[in-house]
Amino acid sequence: MRKIDPLTIAAVGFALALILGWQLLAELKLISPIFFPSPSRALSVLAARVVDGSIWVPFVATGLRMLFGWALASLAGIAIGAAIGSSRLARDLLEPTLDFMRPLPASAMIPVAVLFLGLSNAMSLSVIAFGAIWPVLLATVHGFSSVQAELRQVSDVLGFSRFEFLKKIALPSAFPDIIAGLRVSLAISLILAVVTEMQASLPGLGWDIFFAQRMYRSADLYAGLVLLGAMGFTANHALLLFERRVLRWRTLHA
Amino acid sequence: MQVRAKQTAAGDNAEATTPAMSMDRVNLSYGASPPERRLILENITLDVRESEFLCIVGPSGSGKTTLLRMLAGLVKPTAGEVRFRGQVVSAPSRERAIIFQDYSKALLPWRTVAGNIALSLEAEGIRAADQQPIVAALLAKMGIVRAANQFPGQLSGGMQQRVQIARCLAQRPQILLMDEPFGALDAMTRQALQDEILHLSGEGRMTVVFITHDLEEAIYLGDRVVVLGDTPARIIETIDVDLPRPRDQLTTREDRRFLAHRHRLFGLLRRH
Amino acid sequence: MKRILTGSILPALFIAIWEISSRTGQLTLESLSRPSDILRAGIAGLADGSILTATGQTFETALLGLAVAAFAGIIAGAGLGLSPVLERVVSPTIEALRPIPAVAFIPIALMMFGFGISMEATIVAYACVWPILIVTISAVKAIEPRLLEVADTLEMNFAERLRKIILPAAFVRINVGLRVATGIALVVAVTVEIVLNPRGLGYSLMLAQQSLRVDIMYAQLLWLCVIGYVLNALLRNIGPASIVLSRAGR
Repeated sequence: MRKIDPLTIAAVGFALALILGWQLLAELKLISPIFFPSPSRALSVLAARVVDGSIWVPFVATGLRMLFGWALASLAGIAIGAAIGSSRLARDLLEPTLDFMRPLPASAMIPVAVLFLGLSNAMSLSVIAFGAIWPVLLATVHGFSSVQAELRQVSDVLGFSRFEFLKKIALPSAFPDIIAGLRVSLAISLILAVVTEMQASLPGLGWDIFFAQRMYRSADLYAGLVLLGAMGFTANHALLLFERRVLRWRTLHA
Repeated sequence: MQVRAKQTAAGDNAEATTPAMSMDRVNLSYGASPPERRLILENITLDVRESEFLCIVGPSGSGKTTLLRMLAGLVKPTAGEVRFRGQVVSAPSRERAIIFQDYSKALLPWRTVAGNIALSLEAEGIRAADQQPIVAALLAKMGIVRAANQFPGQLSGGMQQRVQIARCLAQRPQILLMDEPFGALDAMTRQALQDEILHLSGEGRMTVVFITHDLEEAIYLGDRVVVLGDTPARIIETIDVDLPRPRDQLTTREDRRFLAHRHRLFGLLRRH
Repeated sequence: MKRILTGSILPALFIAIWEISSRTGQLTLESLSRPSDILRAGIAGLADGSILTATGQTFETALLGLAVAAFAGIIAGAGLGLSPVLERVVSPTIEALRPIPAVAFIPIALMMFGFGISMEATIVAYACVWPILIVTISAVKAIEPRLLEVADTLEMNFAERLRKIILPAAFVRINVGLRVATGIALVVAVTVEIVLNPRGLGYSLMLAQQSLRVDIMYAQLLWLCVIGYVLNALLRNIGPASIVLSRAGR
């Protein structure tokens, strides 16, 4: 029987206390039920929507948007980043431009995307991809450009071709950086999925929340927030587990 | 006391065989134009004979590493020629394996020990199934069988250096270039590895060029010792080490001739 | 200098090709405009003050949200950093709240505050508080324990401890967190403005797009890049500069 750490109990207790405190305030009508519905109401709405299945469409829609945009951005980011990072010339030519474009908020591309693609899924995906590509791209460039000099020399002595060098040595060497970039990209993908949904009234949790506010259905609103939190948390954690597995060698010591 | 025929130093069977490697009036400078230009190595002319164990010593920063890298083909001389078996060296090659001092940077941290050794075999295009026995043999040879599935980060310095040597041996090199390989290790591990490398090179009749700043190590290991001066480094002298083989950590180091060589080397380096 | 020159080659080429092909009629998409028009619109926007006003609004809101987040984040972070027990207890709640995108709170903030500064600043504050909190916790945890023992011996209360020992000691790291948060603040502010808040750069961007003044739209995008870049450069130098200043003040 494993002893449960008292601190874990305290942590759970803390979270519960917050929720119960909120519930109490709501019941005593000390806070406006319009802005702050009680947790019980939010949960019951959530439960009802799970039961009748109406929660899944928006949940999956947002999830797919986030994942597709992220996957697209990641593949492009790694490919382009590898090309740039492994070539001194490319870096000299492109890094200043990349540095200049980096601080641009991805959401600022929404008007441009709307102009070209209208209020559509394509617009949403392109904005997500544009925003999510930066962390991966920059991390990959960094990873590929900081391969140990000795490893380069080993590769030269062994006679590996450029492609073999990139595949066997540069890419694995850049993995830790790339994966860190992927995690940031995923978070950005979620944010942009929500933003573009709100903007273009596309089906999904973002739009759900927006719509709920219009109808003053705050319980739905909070239910949506809970789901978004759950999605973000799960996605990040899944990536974290993947990272631990792939980068196992980092944590093992003499 | 056996003196292995191939090891006779001076007065060699002057067969005029092509040396394994040679450097002819080699200069190396850094920097593009006069104000920044620094001469590191000057007028280096030396031969590395087949199957010999050649040690190169000199003060820190005297360009010993650069010299080794020129032999490897990683650096091109500013003047003069570097040759391997008579052919001018223009690029690195599997035949000239180089062992780096900083082993942690020269091993792939994401591959196991076996995986690291296999890297050399992959470079030759050997199929995975055929790699197995070769890797196993090298693991045994270097005494690192237990560590086969561990990552370099889990190993001690001495073990990591053994892995690097194993990886180099997997290349089936014609010449082994070693850059102060034992400098970062503790004294006991260093001595163990010194003897191992002597054993390996003797067994395979390998040609070895060994860089070190440790004069005693150079005398202990080498057939000849080349002494480099301070920058711009020239060859001050080449000493023939007439000590018998096999060498022994205890008796060889107390040999009268060992002490004489040591005396001489210290004197030379002190003056330069 | 050389870096700027080599870095300008490709963009210059790109702009030249864009300009030429739009003039020769090769490229006629209404959505594309051309570099010379964009430049003109940009200069006009700066001259008549519209761009600067909008920038001021966005900055104002971002700064407000950032200040609130910094205040709350640093104090809470210091408290949690000093007490491992407290941190353990609160941390799961933080981990549960953190993944919720700040923008998802836009509807709630709208309900509570209506359109305007408060709504936007609230979202900015929510987005910025997490990185500041986390960086502060780790910065405080990394403070040399001897210094904290000194605070104990001198029987300092929390406020004094914060002011005299914790903040100076954790300054460098917290500064890095603040820099990151500033970037986030700007991005979130612009995002809220794009989605629905009728003030600031984001809003004028949407206006330009909706009124099909694409030249103004692209000019504003360029402006966003410029101020983002300048801001970053300033921030990168503020850290070392303020350290120098504080040393000089002693």
